[in-house]
Amino acid sequence: MSASMTLNMRERVKDMETMPSIPAILLPLLELLNLPPEHVKLDEVVRLVSCDNAIAAQCLRVASSPLFGLAESPKTVKAAVISLGLRRVQTILLTCCLGDAFPTHNWPLDPAVLWKHSLGCAMVCRKFSEKLATGDGERAYLAGLLHDIGLMVNCIAFPKEFAAAVAHASQEQIPLDVAELDTMGFTHSDSGRALAEKWHLADDLIQVIAHHHSPNEAEAHQPLTALVHLSDLLCRMRGMGYGYYEQQKVDLISDPAWEILLQEHRELAQVDLALFSFELDEAVGEVCELVSAIFGGAKASTK
Amino acid sequence: MTGTQITPNLPLTPRTGVPVDPVFRQIRDLVYKVCGIFQLEEKLYLMAGACERRMKILSIRTSRDYWNLLTANPGRDTELRNLLNEVTIGETCLFRSPPQLDALRKVILPELLQDKSKQAIKTLRIWSAGCSTGEEPYTLAMNMLEESENLLKGWKVEIIATDLNDRSIETAKAGVYGDYALRSTPELFKRKYFSAVDAKKLQVLPDVKKLITFSRLNLQDDSKMLFMKGMDLIFCCNVLIYFDGPSKSKVINHFYSNLTFGGYLFLGTSESLLNLNDRFRLIHFPGTMAYWKPSLKSGKL
Repeated sequence: MSASMTLNMRERVKDMETMPSIPAILLPLLELLNLPPEHVKLDEVVRLVSCDNAIAAQCLRVASSPLFGLAESPKTVKAAVISLGLRRVQTILLTCCLGDAFPTHNWPLDPAVLWKHSLGCAMVCRKFSEKLATGDGERAYLAGLLHDIGLMVNCIAFPKEFAAAVAHASQEQIPLDVAELDTMGFTHSDSGRALAEKWHLADDLIQVIAHHHSPNEAEAHQPLTALVHLSDLLCRMRGMGYGYYEQQKVDLISDPAWEILLQEHRELAQVDLALFSFELDEAVGEVCELVSAIFGGAKASTK
Repeated sequence: MTGTQITPNLPLTPRTGVPVDPVFRQIRDLVYKVCGIFQLEEKLYLMAGACERRMKILSIRTSRDYWNLLTANPGRDTELRNLLNEVTIGETCLFRSPPQLDALRKVILPELLQDKSKQAIKTLRIWSAGCSTGEEPYTLAMNMLEESENLLKGWKVEIIATDLNDRSIETAKAGVYGDYALRSTPELFKRKYFSAVDAKKLQVLPDVKKLITFSRLNLQDDSKMLFMKGMDLIFCCNVLIYFDGPSKSKVINHFYSNLTFGGYLFLGTSESLLNLNDRFRLIHFPGTMAYWKPSLKSGKL
């Protein structure tokens, strides 16, 4: 991307009136996620959930969905939080927050497909991280969930240009970032970074958002960026992509990201990648149900 | 965050709605560890059903006793094989794995043909190892014929289909299939590549058969395996699962030698090589995986 292009894109992201502002409960929530587990108070979470009616309602709806198989639907936010478990509440809260931040009117990409990819990638990142002895699963989850926020920026700030990129990608069956570069001159990594900086997200998340397609270019936090890169590829190969066929051959072990991650986590060499891929397939159904539970009417495509 | 996460519920058996016995999940994991075939959690009830059928035959009352038979008993290998037979039964049909066919036509063929285009002989060799009653080689042949005016224009395609079982080979040669085997075959292919035998059965046309050579082969026969040279693609679906560790390893090493550089080995959709050969590279395609023998130019061999 040329310097003038960057400037132009950045200006447009900064000046867009429709540019999402950071949802009120997102920052305290992210802080809460950074606390050691023993310091997280249930009441604090309940308070956060309760301070936004729409989000509280979504939590209750998700908790009542057949996904959790509860005998009785929870009536209060507290009951919902208890029956869902804190980890799931985090997921739901984050997803709802982001869902609220990005109104999905006339998106060039099906929002359900995009959410399925984001939640799917978050789940893969967590599972991947759990395979590594010193991985931080929750951080990886968050990084996976947010890695593609640039796509949402593109949907809102550059709808026409991005629609052309999506059409080009699905017609040629090529990766979306390649199509973006071809048609727009910048990718969702660039626009995502602009938003992440505007929102003052933590540096590791900025790096992931900016460099998940080329982790070796990340200025810091390369291992986390590499983990998200590999998880993103795996998602797209295991039925949680962008809703079109990508004519792609993915060789994870010869990807530079693999080497970066291996340097940090030697145990990566022992991971049975085929088994890992099968295990991911199991979670696809759950991701789809979560997407449809959180977004109600929005149906989760199976592509 | 605290550990208040809900443990995932055991999947329910369709129709009855009864949760699946957790012992069957342990058996599922054992089957993967020994045979490399993975059963999805949501299909766990199928594994449970297969176990229950075996238990009935053996007059074993509890799942725990069956687990003991599979792990402690000296005859455990035989029983594991019997169980696998129950699990994979009726799986064979034409067009069994569309993602494999997509990967083959959209990604692999263009790459392979470009690599080979500098060679004098324009022949593509495909081996269906353990072809059973012919569903796989015919599916491959029809898909190659679809490309004959396009990607494969000017190329000769040879499909070698082998199986240990003589009777399977005979059935395969006849190429007559009923509704069940044809349940996934697209209408277009049925019209284009089959003729009707009677109201219920279709037969593969001679033009499709022409591409395939059927013969009997034991994958454990080392001297014969050495002759299977120059393969660009090997399909060996749900066959290796019946081999014990050392024989499986030997067959895989043969496959590696049988393949040309840049060639691919496909296994069944839920099957893995269990890292038994570290020269093969696991490659992901949308919805499927294959094992690649890296081409010479890729450097990392």
